[in-house]
Amino acid sequence: MTAVDPETRIPDPLDLERLEEDRLRAAAGLAPQKKAAGEYAGFEQVGLPDRPPETERERQLFSLEEGEMLVNMGPQHPSTHGVMRLLVKVRSEVVTDLDVVLGYLHRGIEKLCENATYTTVLTYVDPMDYMSAMHNEHAPALAFEKLYGIEAPMRAQYIRALVVELNRVFSHGLMMGFLALDMGGITPLLYGFINRDEIVDMLSAISGQRMLFNFFRVGGVNFDVNDEFISRLGHWRTRALATVEDNERILTQNEIFTARTKGLGVLSAKDAISLGVSGPNLRASGVALDIRKAHPYPPYDELEFEVITQSGGDTYARYLQRVAEIKQSIHLIDQIVDQMPHGPVQAQVPGIIRPRPGRAYAAVESPRGLYSVYAISDGGPNPYRFRMRDPSFISLQVMPKLMPGHLIADTMAIMASLDPIMGGVDK
Amino acid sequence: MANVRRSRTAAPGLGRRRPLTAPAKAGALVRLLLDRLGSDVHDLWTDEDAVEVQIDGARNVDVLRRLRDDPELGFFFLADAAAVDYGPGVRFEVVYHLYSDRHPAWLRVRAHVSRDDPRLPTVTELWEGAMFHEREMYDMMGIVFEGNRDLRRIYMSPNYRSFPQRKDFILPDDAADSSAAGVNPLERPETWDLRRFSETLAPGASAPADEPVAAAGAAVEAGQTDADKSRPR
Amino acid sequence: MDFSLLLGIGRFVLATTLLLLLTVPTAFIIIYLELKMIALMQLRIGPNRVGPAGIFQSAIHGFKVLGKEDVTPDQADRPIFTLAPWMVFMAAAMSMLVIPFAPGLVAFDSQISVVYFFAIIGLSVVGLLVAGWASYNKYSLLGGLRSAAQMVSYEIPLTLSIVGVVILTGTLSFTQIIEWQRLHGWAVIWQLVGFPVFYIASTAEINRTPFDLVEADSEIVAGFATEYSGMRFGFFFFAEYVALFIMSGILVTLFFGGWLAPWPFPAQLSGFLGSLYGLFWFMLKTYIFVLISIWARATLPRIRVDQLMGMAWKALLPIALVNLLVTAAVVVIFNL
Repeated sequence: MTAVDPETRIPDPLDLERLEEDRLRAAAGLAPQKKAAGEYAGFEQVGLPDRPPETERERQLFSLEEGEMLVNMGPQHPSTHGVMRLLVKVRSEVVTDLDVVLGYLHRGIEKLCENATYTTVLTYVDPMDYMSAMHNEHAPALAFEKLYGIEAPMRAQYIRALVVELNRVFSHGLMMGFLALDMGGITPLLYGFINRDEIVDMLSAISGQRMLFNFFRVGGVNFDVNDEFISRLGHWRTRALATVEDNERILTQNEIFTARTKGLGVLSAKDAISLGVSGPNLRASGVALDIRKAHPYPPYDELEFEVITQSGGDTYARYLQRVAEIKQSIHLIDQIVDQMPHGPVQAQVPGIIRPRPGRAYAAVESPRGLYSVYAISDGGPNPYRFRMRDPSFISLQVMPKLMPGHLIADTMAIMASLDPIMGGVDK
Repeated sequence: MANVRRSRTAAPGLGRRRPLTAPAKAGALVRLLLDRLGSDVHDLWTDEDAVEVQIDGARNVDVLRRLRDDPELGFFFLADAAAVDYGPGVRFEVVYHLYSDRHPAWLRVRAHVSRDDPRLPTVTELWEGAMFHEREMYDMMGIVFEGNRDLRRIYMSPNYRSFPQRKDFILPDDAADSSAAGVNPLERPETWDLRRFSETLAPGASAPADEPVAAAGAAVEAGQTDADKSRPR
Repeated sequence: MDFSLLLGIGRFVLATTLLLLLTVPTAFIIIYLELKMIALMQLRIGPNRVGPAGIFQSAIHGFKVLGKEDVTPDQADRPIFTLAPWMVFMAAAMSMLVIPFAPGLVAFDSQISVVYFFAIIGLSVVGLLVAGWASYNKYSLLGGLRSAAQMVSYEIPLTLSIVGVVILTGTLSFTQIIEWQRLHGWAVIWQLVGFPVFYIASTAEINRTPFDLVEADSEIVAGFATEYSGMRFGFFFFAEYVALFIMSGILVTLFFGGWLAPWPFPAQLSGFLGSLYGLFWFMLKTYIFVLISIWARATLPRIRVDQLMGMAWKALLPIALVNLLVTAAVVVIFNL
């Protein structure tokens, strides 16, 4: 082990020793040390953390006025989309401030990937945004292909687009379900899962897995389409559009649903761009930014589709945007199946390959937004730096901006309409 | 004047040769960048679909503002802000990826940050969405963003001491050698308060004597605990 | 000692005991129906293992709930914390005393049954509010406050909507209301506006979807019942389903003829057979409305609390008042 020079550490802002000293003193029955004058004295209040606020924002958040209380929608909660903690400052049901506490699902994937070969990295990134695992693999595959200097054959690109669009269909379908569930409608989620089950059976026929697919390789995909996949795809395609329209009928015209979502959580286009929101959330606010059209990656430059936007930017618009995107994806799948060329599904890559040293950036359009990978290679078998930019992570910044002024019940509605997946947020 | 370099060609015989179309399309962007940014650009590099610019860390807000507000550049969307550690003694780098709908390439802005005193101005005044990016960069690498009103840890717990994505961070299995050993008081038995468990004892029984705790307290004050002896001080 | 008095007391005690005992199977049946029906509507199978087609599932739920540990929070107000589920359950059980199941099968047939019923049903508000407060928990407090606000708001349209029926029939006794309906047709045709108002208000009273934000499990965990576990939680749970049955029963009694059979069948028979016949029709109609409520639960999302209050005060209350005025005017003008 190399000796570590402790001087390279930046001193942390918190005086850890003093707190431990206080704890030991309390254990020994002594009074704690005297606090210096002007220090934060809010430890006594229930709900506030037992350390002074470190930042200006924390100070603003933890200073409670008359009638306000901190409600913790904690990591275990039926409705947060994974483990996430929301510190909500409420004044009797109206939210005045909100803080998102993350990190409960942090697995250190970026650092792990620095010790893994390029092929192994593609298996590590699957469980990030587990609802759209194919997109998680697509971006690193594209980035690594740039580093290797190769390109996947066209058939592989088409198969990639096919599975990616199928993934988008069921991810958006589940978002509809979760949005309804967070508002108390228990049935659309089950319908979404029925749809997802069909698609996932299809994807398991082609990749062998139902959720964390491990299907992409640098230079192509792992398997070609097989008979079972084609038969399931055909069955699904005959009913896909009708199923979507059936499923959305239970929600789109429902008065209770529209009363609860229309006009709620309006995100203006300017705010959305400033906050870094991308994907359906951004397009629902009126900005026509779709990476498949903006910086197209094959085969999207050969497919015909338009960028759909909604006006309004409220929760209902985000819901409608996703329904429209499901239909767009079905249309894209039709084109892909019609246009798929023959050929190999994986580029001829030698067993041991070292990429050239350099940097590569690849971005794809995932159901949650712009999903990008920035990979740096130093010529060795492992990436030197593997950085993933997850869209849900950035979208969560919308919450403290939009929430104040709404009710607690709307917290869940707005959160569900942003569709974050905690695996991607926490990496 | 800045160096303009092109990427190497693809290795021969591997897959399909990638068409080098974007650099020609991005030629306009390259000229614009050199024109508008002038002396801020230390280095410029192009690839199939990215143009890369290296700047000094302290100038990042200025450069990014010009990139965003200039009508012909128009990089209105911050796609990514990442931190890279090039090793102890080398440097950090904060890499911004920007999108513009006027240019067919991603723009990568690499800002150099010194590793000994990693400070950088914050870009949250340009893009509010950079807040979480900067918090993550602080949490993982220890880069301090001046002017950021909420620079606290986002993934690790608030009293975590070290910066995991640095190259000299050693995995917790080698805890004794790590500069992060014993960060969590639960990793140090001498900080455990056994009297918390006294209510589980039968009436009449007493908690274990206080001497171990008091002695442990004294040891902590004197700096003679096992944890103190296990790592270089 | 008057023999008939003793007989009367004995009959009353027997009836109340039977009814209290009957609440539990009623709740079991309704819970099973809910699980199975919602499953079928979601294209699932639902309970199918415990007993043929899973019919013993809710009995097993009941035993499971009995077996769970009863945890009381340290700082909760213990006597009131324990009392709250009892209050809610007793409100439901006591109001079951006046429900007219069949001719001759009414536990407490008085001339003021309507007043008694709506007074007792209002006691459950107290129970929920107390549960929320005594739990020493912010979520419970929010749930308790929401429930108090909701139930108090909907009491008014609820009682106003049935005053129309009372004016029409001229009596406050359930059995006489049914008698009036035997002669004049079911009250729903006379009270086309009063019936929907009553249905909506009663759904809100018993905290069923779409008004179940009291126990909105996606927002504030379990609302007022967050800190309850074991049999105490079971009591809240059972009380809700018993109240569903009771409200459906009262709906049927007031608007759909109670134990009377619909048109092609003879409305009422006499004697012991008549009681069974009436009981059958009463139960059938009540369970139809229970199933409709379950259907609503599967389909509809939840209303937000401010929209709920707005609807009670700004929509239902004026409609109920107008209905009342029109009914009164019609009765006076046509000397009904």
